[in-house]
Amino acid sequence: MSKPDIELQKFRTKRGKRLLNHLITTSLQYKLWIGFLLFLIVLGMFGYYRQLRYGLVVTAMRDYTSWGIYISNFVFFVAISLVGSLFSSILKLNKNLWARPLTRISEIIAVAAIICAAVIIIVDMGRPDRIFFVITHLRIQSPIIWDVIIISTYLVISILLLYISLLPDIALCRDRLTEIPNWKKKLYRITAINWHNHPKQIAMLRKVNKILAIAVLPVAFAIHTITSWLFATTWRPGWDSTNLGPYFVSGAFMAGAAVIIIAMYFVRKHLKLSKYITLNHFDKMGKLLVLLSLVYLYFNINEYLGPAFKMVGVEGEHITELFVGKYAPMYWFVQLGGLVLPIVLLFFKPLRKPLPILIISIFVVLGAWLKRFLIVIPSLQHPYLPIQGVDESYLHYNPTWEEWAITISSFAWLLLIITVLIKLFPVIPIKKYQQGSEIVFKQNIF
Amino acid sequence: MKSETKLINYFLEIIMAITFILLAITISYGQDDLQDAIVTLSFIDNNEAKIIQAKATDQDGSPIEDLELYFYVQRTFSLLPIGDFFNTTDENGIVEIPFPEDLPGDMEGHVKIIVKILESDNYNDLTLETIKNWGVPTPVDQFEEKRSLWAAAANAPITLVISTCVMILAIWFIIGYIIFILYKISKIKSDIHTQFSEEKYFEDIIESF
Amino acid sequence: MKNENSKNPTRRKFLKNISSGSALAVSGLAYFSVSSCKQVSDEKTTLLTTDGKLVQVSNSEIENLDHRHLPATREESRLGIPGKKFVMVVDLAKCKNAKKCIEACDHTHNLTPDRPYIKVLEMQDNEKSSPYWMPKKCFQCDNPPCVKVCPVGATYKRTDGIVLVDNERCIGCRFCMAACPYSARVFNWGKPPDQDESIPYSPETSLPSEIGTVGKCDFCPDMLRNNKLPHCVTSCPNGVIYFGDEIDDTVTNGEETVRLSTLLKEKAGYRYMEELGTEPRVYYLPPVDRLFPFEETTQENSES
Repeated sequence: MSKPDIELQKFRTKRGKRLLNHLITTSLQYKLWIGFLLFLIVLGMFGYYRQLRYGLVVTAMRDYTSWGIYISNFVFFVAISLVGSLFSSILKLNKNLWARPLTRISEIIAVAAIICAAVIIIVDMGRPDRIFFVITHLRIQSPIIWDVIIISTYLVISILLLYISLLPDIALCRDRLTEIPNWKKKLYRITAINWHNHPKQIAMLRKVNKILAIAVLPVAFAIHTITSWLFATTWRPGWDSTNLGPYFVSGAFMAGAAVIIIAMYFVRKHLKLSKYITLNHFDKMGKLLVLLSLVYLYFNINEYLGPAFKMVGVEGEHITELFVGKYAPMYWFVQLGGLVLPIVLLFFKPLRKPLPILIISIFVVLGAWLKRFLIVIPSLQHPYLPIQGVDESYLHYNPTWEEWAITISSFAWLLLIITVLIKLFPVIPIKKYQQGSEIVFKQNIF
Repeated sequence: MKSETKLINYFLEIIMAITFILLAITISYGQDDLQDAIVTLSFIDNNEAKIIQAKATDQDGSPIEDLELYFYVQRTFSLLPIGDFFNTTDENGIVEIPFPEDLPGDMEGHVKIIVKILESDNYNDLTLETIKNWGVPTPVDQFEEKRSLWAAAANAPITLVISTCVMILAIWFIIGYIIFILYKISKIKSDIHTQFSEEKYFEDIIESF
Repeated sequence: MKNENSKNPTRRKFLKNISSGSALAVSGLAYFSVSSCKQVSDEKTTLLTTDGKLVQVSNSEIENLDHRHLPATREESRLGIPGKKFVMVVDLAKCKNAKKCIEACDHTHNLTPDRPYIKVLEMQDNEKSSPYWMPKKCFQCDNPPCVKVCPVGATYKRTDGIVLVDNERCIGCRFCMAACPYSARVFNWGKPPDQDESIPYSPETSLPSEIGTVGKCDFCPDMLRNNKLPHCVTSCPNGVIYFGDEIDDTVTNGEETVRLSTLLKEKAGYRYMEELGTEPRVYYLPPVDRLFPFEETTQENSES
């Protein structure tokens, strides 16, 4: 659609116009971006085709390193998905009004991440054709089943969270955007489920929103705690830890906040929303990131101090490998570059400006991904019994191009889902019901 | 010490194998040389011990002295030797060996006791089997799968099943309720008057932001 | 075996073999089948009835009992062999890394040498103590971490103590591999090497194995069903591995038969990493009074 079309829509306010603008204008940049993502996805699809055809032998995973970057990626995506609950629940219940414009982005990211997590775990399966066995032959004793249950629950809740906050805005799109393709009109009409700002509807929605904001919290904590139990229920060094649940959850919040900052930056820049995503937001997010990183740092110290002090058997070997061994460069990059340094830097106000905080957040996210690599892989390489009598390739783990292609394409999927959702729905909540709306309903009703 | 025993074992084995082959040849070419021994078993069970008593006689009924008898208990994969390493009959043709008190039997305590004459110089090989309820009965219940974390799905720990179900039901009840409310929202009919005042109010606020 | 007997009650055949200086006849009768009569074939068969009467039976039917059965179905193999609790004892004092157990196992289970079910590990508890060879299979734990975590019940604990894998159920999540502290499990990363696809799949034989599923040492339950010892036990030239039924309190390495409790008591048997609480069904006897000096693997001792 060309520019004049915007004028054809029935906007009543400047706000609506600004915030709906990106829904009806499509830039070349956007098309190139989509094309680039699709290219990565096709590349990953080819990798996955090869994996389906020849089996997991195309990966670098072998009998000892039996989980690889698919699993670390899965844990990463689950972590990212937690950010939805951070904004929609924790900040909302604490009445942090400044965070309101970021709620939608965080909910979109949460939905996209949890979908990608569910998909990447299927990619990791040796027999994806038997995926439905987890339902038909379900064994409730297995933490994987708990994870399946909680992921599907969280997926539904995330979609509901996104949808409920989106509902009045969809109705707005339906009412205001008159000059758009028919399929979009139809999409808005169906998804708006006859919303017309009736006071009763608003009252009901507010109630639902509140219930959901509370309900999502235990589910969000559960999803990452249970994911941590996939590891904590085993005897592996580095996994056999009671600290793992809060360690994962706090790490997830940190990574999620960093992802939001990155998303904020690009949304603000490309959708020209600097009026709504302000410098103040970056500043506040910077402070929030420091807080969350400090919590994560605390659990990190807890996670490593005990084993490093005791140096028991394979646990000691594992710690040595991380601190001074093969994985030391990555480990210290993650701990210093992805955790300690961001905390220190973000204490300074000038570094909480958009560009510096973007760079810092990229480091945090990179660190978070590599951290999950360090959680999954080195642990598997230190079994209780020595690795002997197997092929040489079983001793190391260097992911193959198929694994990288699939992993990168999973990120492309994540970004594609986010991009499409942002393209279809307003990325900043337009309708504001929370402030003072109670008064007006009472006036109207009585 | 161990390697010596091992060597002796090997040696004995070879000797026995050779003897057996020779014996087989003897049996086929000169069976007359060997007689059939008659071994009768009696099982003495007093309070102190369980004793297997074997009496060996020849065809005429006179006792055989210095006859080696082998005592076994049948086990799943092999015969478990009981008694001493060598069990030789005395001048009355009698040898007694104690039956181990703590040896498990089947569910009812039955054990199959086997007595053999093997590669004797004068007598044919002989195997006697009998079943006694001298074993310790093995409890039946350990063969049933109990509720546990490693049991099949049907035998999951009941607390786990209940707590998981409660949690799932609780959260899905909430989800269901929310979807129900959404359905109710969709059924509320439009009312021009309220809608207008609504819109006006909100858009005013929005403008002021 | 019980079934076998009830199907074929008139022609009871017995295996006659010479395995060592002691054991001669392995009866086809399960010892607990009290109801069946007690006859034994021999050159001249003597039979003692329950009332102590001796009867002579002419013998004409001695045949080698070596017919092949169809392997147990997936349903049958979930149940376990009734009344048994299988147990293994590995005498570390006797192992010299001949690797015959690995060869036999690889051959039976159609494995390539790079990913065997059995590994003979070179162990050294500390710098001052002498290294020793430690044959390691699946420990068939009574508190099996792998079974606990399986989401679909593809791996399961049977009443006879054996932990089996159902390749037709396995979804290939590899959680069991991560959970096993003994690294006992191997995965079919690619297509299994050439195998006879026509034989019906049985978890008891683990054949034919399937791509994308997990496998491990299974104590050869197809052999156990016929009261035969697993291949690794019979192939060991040094009698390292004792196998038996814990209910019997008896283990045998094919040559000598000993009481399990006596063996463990006298030789200070232990289970590897008892502190994990997995309760393995494989015991080890410490590598003291060794039969062979420890030598690094050479062509010579791996050939012998």
